[in-house]
Amino acid sequence: MSRANALRVLLRSGPGFGGVSLLCLLILVALYVLLVFPLDFGESQWSNPVVWVDNPKAVPPAWTNTLRREARPPHRIFEGAEPHTVQMARSGPVHSWRFPLTYASSHPPTFLAVTLADVKYEERPPLVLISLKRPDGKQLRIYRHAVRGPREGESGPFLRYGQTPLRVQLSTDEATVTAVQNFLADEFDLRLDGAQIGGRVDRFLFGVPTGDSEAAFAPLTGDYEIIVQAAMREEGDSVGKIRFVVGGAVFGLMGTDSLGRDLARGLLFGVPVALFIGVIAALLSTAIGTSLGIASGYLGGRADITIQRISDIVANVPVLPLLIFMLFIVGPSLWMIIFILVIFGWPGLTIQIRSMVLHLRTNQLVEAIQSLGASRRRVMFRHILPQITPYVFAQLIFGAPAAILSEAGLSFLGLGDPSIPTWGQILEAGFRTGGIYLGYWWWIVPPGLCIVLTALTFMLLGLGIEPVVNPRLRRSPP
Amino acid sequence: MTSLLDVRDLTFHYADRAGPVRAVDNVSFSLASGGSALGLVGESGSGKSSLALAIMRMLPTNVARYDGAIWLNGQELLGMADERFRQEIRWRKLSLVPQGAQNGLNPVLRVGEQIVEPLIVSGTAAKREATARALELLAYVGLPADVYDRYPHELSGGMKQRAMIAAALILDPPVVIMDEPTSALDASVQTQITNLLKRLMQDMNLAIIFITHDIALASDVCDDLAVVYAGEIVEIGSADQVLLHPSHPYTQRLLASIPRLHDDTTPQFIPGAPPDLREPPAGCRFHPRCPLVFEPCAQKSPPAFEPEDGQLARCWLFEDGQG
Amino acid sequence: MSLFRPLLVRSLTMVGVFFVVLLMLVLTLGLTGFSDRILAATIGEQLRAERTALAETIRDPDEMEKVLEKRREELEIFYGLRTPWYYRLPRTALRVLTLDLGEARSLRSFDGSNRVFDIVTERVPNSMLLLTTSFVITAIIGVIGGSYLATRQGSWLDRFVSGFAAVSFAIPTWWIGILFILVLSIQLRILPSGGMYSTPPPTEPLPRFFDLVSHALLPVITLVLVSFGPSIYSIRTITLNIAQEDHVKIARAKGLPESRVRLRHILRVAAPPIVTGLMFGLAGSVSGSILVETVFNWQGMGRLYYDALAGTPDENVIVALTFIFTLMYVLIRIVLEVLYVFLDPRVRYTD
Repeated sequence: MSRANALRVLLRSGPGFGGVSLLCLLILVALYVLLVFPLDFGESQWSNPVVWVDNPKAVPPAWTNTLRREARPPHRIFEGAEPHTVQMARSGPVHSWRFPLTYASSHPPTFLAVTLADVKYEERPPLVLISLKRPDGKQLRIYRHAVRGPREGESGPFLRYGQTPLRVQLSTDEATVTAVQNFLADEFDLRLDGAQIGGRVDRFLFGVPTGDSEAAFAPLTGDYEIIVQAAMREEGDSVGKIRFVVGGAVFGLMGTDSLGRDLARGLLFGVPVALFIGVIAALLSTAIGTSLGIASGYLGGRADITIQRISDIVANVPVLPLLIFMLFIVGPSLWMIIFILVIFGWPGLTIQIRSMVLHLRTNQLVEAIQSLGASRRRVMFRHILPQITPYVFAQLIFGAPAAILSEAGLSFLGLGDPSIPTWGQILEAGFRTGGIYLGYWWWIVPPGLCIVLTALTFMLLGLGIEPVVNPRLRRSPP
Repeated sequence: MTSLLDVRDLTFHYADRAGPVRAVDNVSFSLASGGSALGLVGESGSGKSSLALAIMRMLPTNVARYDGAIWLNGQELLGMADERFRQEIRWRKLSLVPQGAQNGLNPVLRVGEQIVEPLIVSGTAAKREATARALELLAYVGLPADVYDRYPHELSGGMKQRAMIAAALILDPPVVIMDEPTSALDASVQTQITNLLKRLMQDMNLAIIFITHDIALASDVCDDLAVVYAGEIVEIGSADQVLLHPSHPYTQRLLASIPRLHDDTTPQFIPGAPPDLREPPAGCRFHPRCPLVFEPCAQKSPPAFEPEDGQLARCWLFEDGQG
Repeated sequence: MSLFRPLLVRSLTMVGVFFVVLLMLVLTLGLTGFSDRILAATIGEQLRAERTALAETIRDPDEMEKVLEKRREELEIFYGLRTPWYYRLPRTALRVLTLDLGEARSLRSFDGSNRVFDIVTERVPNSMLLLTTSFVITAIIGVIGGSYLATRQGSWLDRFVSGFAAVSFAIPTWWIGILFILVLSIQLRILPSGGMYSTPPPTEPLPRFFDLVSHALLPVITLVLVSFGPSIYSIRTITLNIAQEDHVKIARAKGLPESRVRLRHILRVAAPPIVTGLMFGLAGSVSGSILVETVFNWQGMGRLYYDALAGTPDENVIVALTFIFTLMYVLIRIVLEVLYVFLDPRVRYTD
């Protein structure tokens, strides 16, 4: 059958069409990921907690708000580099940033955090002040920070928070708690001690007392403003970057895990990895299985017996326990996983290919060609291989989901390559940290669905290709 | 005199994706009495095995047309309810030795069990009587008694064939259909089996429908021969008539295609191929391959003419002789 | 007599598998230097224990070091750490074979023993319970469903099951288990999310049994759900092929009742290939049950893998588990092989 014809048959079958479209989709996503994500995404981002520190922990995707009666607060990040305004004060220039925040949720933010980076000054350190202006007109200073002064023996200009930015979790910061305490006392005549406020700062800042009890607050919706001011001493002093995070209770497209990692990014990165595992493992084990099968059937004799014995034994080994054992011993790396999957993945094909070769060799046509003087080699490559190729191709496709599922299972047991996040590892993290018992479905369901979808893509392709490679199936039975 | 088995206009079509397959069309023949044999001769794909199945009412699920009449000892079989047909006719009145009897035995049951099975299941005989009868039959077909306790794969092809024959006789049926009973066997075994069949007809007053592609073999066993082509019987008559004075051009060609010892004539092949039974040619189904084809052949399907007494041929050549 | 040879041949193959696995275990341990590391750790631990004991009598720190160094040498010779790993190989193999599996680092058996043998063996029945229950249920559903579908070839149900079977190959069993927990245990609170008994476990035998059943329900359903599609489908195909054979035609021609034709002339003949199919499915079931035990915190050997891999891994336990799993697998396989030989008279003579 010509290639174009084969493709037409493939596309006309339901599974074939589904498989091809899904595969195209997956390949597009994989290409996107390869272009956009750094190759060392696993090490530099996924398993680096600093990257995710400003994200809310274990919150569902943002779109779940459309399904809920009471919207949960979204995640807001305000960043500034160049100051919005610069005023001259007596002490020096004052840089200020104003971040408007419209708050409509009936829940307070989950946390407030501020980050300062790349502070530069000539002689004396600047002072950073943060205030919150509420819709009811009240305003309070929630944070005050004097940048660290010159150390002994150090000379200007001074750089601060360059390597490690200063990050303050305002929700638990002692000074903020005191500020809120004073604010409540002044504005609402409420006297609460630090323990009543600590950790729940957000509720007081974004709320008004209901009067029911001392600590009962109802959320105050409306337009807030976050005002960050940096009081400089010299003209050239500057704050390189300022970042204010109003923690949400929903996040992004797929939510976050308990470390605040953006699951959407993890899931996306899993696409090329899964395709890679499936294709490489299937390719290698099919290559080994086919060549050994052909060698066994073609050479015969002692080579045949040896290959058959080995494949008999390897085919009868309980694979997962040995996979676990070997990965545990040699250490988890993606290449090792693929290598071990290949080691145990070839024998079935070898046994089948061998019997096909034996069958074809005794085929009358082949015998006739041989009797006409064709060399064994020519018979092998011209007459036997072409008949096996389509079958091998189908097996190649069916091999991919097996490899993807195996890798996921091993990752789930904690044997995944820590430098390369996979869907199995995301699931493992969700399981090990108890995410499933807390009902964090967004952490559990999507990675599994991704695995199923990818494996299904190859299954459908295989089912669609079967009638192409096996003409007997092209017409369905009466 | 009514005959033992009378098949009238038996027609059996089954539905294929491309349309109905006319496997058996308007077939009529009869078997006069016990001890006689009719040979159904035809090329492979001519529908002769389908005819055997149609007589046994072993129809596929996609049967499209099944009519005509089969009279056995004065009883009409086609109108009989399935369940009654199964209980009263199958194996009791009509049994079957299938084509490739090599595979006719269940590979995981002992041979003896399979022979006595119909006797025991129908409750006709107790286990011990049944065993005794089976051993008797095994001895009759020339098998040692220990075959009873053996598995099919332990028997040779000829032994399996004999065991199948013994199995077919367990309920003493008046008629046995033998579908290519000797085709997979080597020549010496073939002769043994045909001799056994002749003996059976005599000793047990058995009537046999003998289906084969080998017209010489059929003439050895059978009194009458019917030549099947494309689902139809094109010629029927006594073995002598058909062999010595073949009327239908197809029969003549068939006979000419057989290589003979002690003869200088080279066997002649029949040009062309048997027709696809999904779309048989209009008129006489043989006409595209027939050397004597003339006008009416493609127009109308010929009825059975009688070129000689007791010899029928479906061929327009004999229309005139008929008047 | 005729049964004996094929049984022996087939069992020997499985014993071969067993020894090859053992060899692979020992070789991997040796070649990667892993066994050296385990031994060194054992010696280090022993020395630490002895140091505290010696501290009672030896005051001088220099002398203490000298004594300990001498002791280390003795121990290293005793354990064979001074000789290359392949000299120790036969002894290691023998130790594993005689189930002398050493001591666990931190895992303990239910009654507190740290012997790996105790830890692993007390879980064997639990694993067997889950594995065999789901295996048998899958087989039964497969035989009944498969032989029914064979009579309905081409129907919508037939097409649905073949589609379902194909999809089953793309679904990780353990993930289905997690979904069950998420929906049935966490959201709807119908069934327990894990473990084998409630805490505290019921003491009366009958309630205790029902408690076990309610805990086993989800893992068993999970295992069956993912494997019954392929099982039905393959048995359907086997049955269909056999139903087209001549001897079935003859059985019908014999006027036998349809039920008898189905049972004795189709299903009985299909039994050997069905058992072969089950044998192929077994390896998958073992893998599936390891992961499903993990998900459902079923106190079997599979869950033990997970626990042994978590935190500081317990090497001895992992080696022992791999070994015992292979042993268990080989034993079930031998049972199936024996069954096969009994079911198929053809192999009894041809071997």
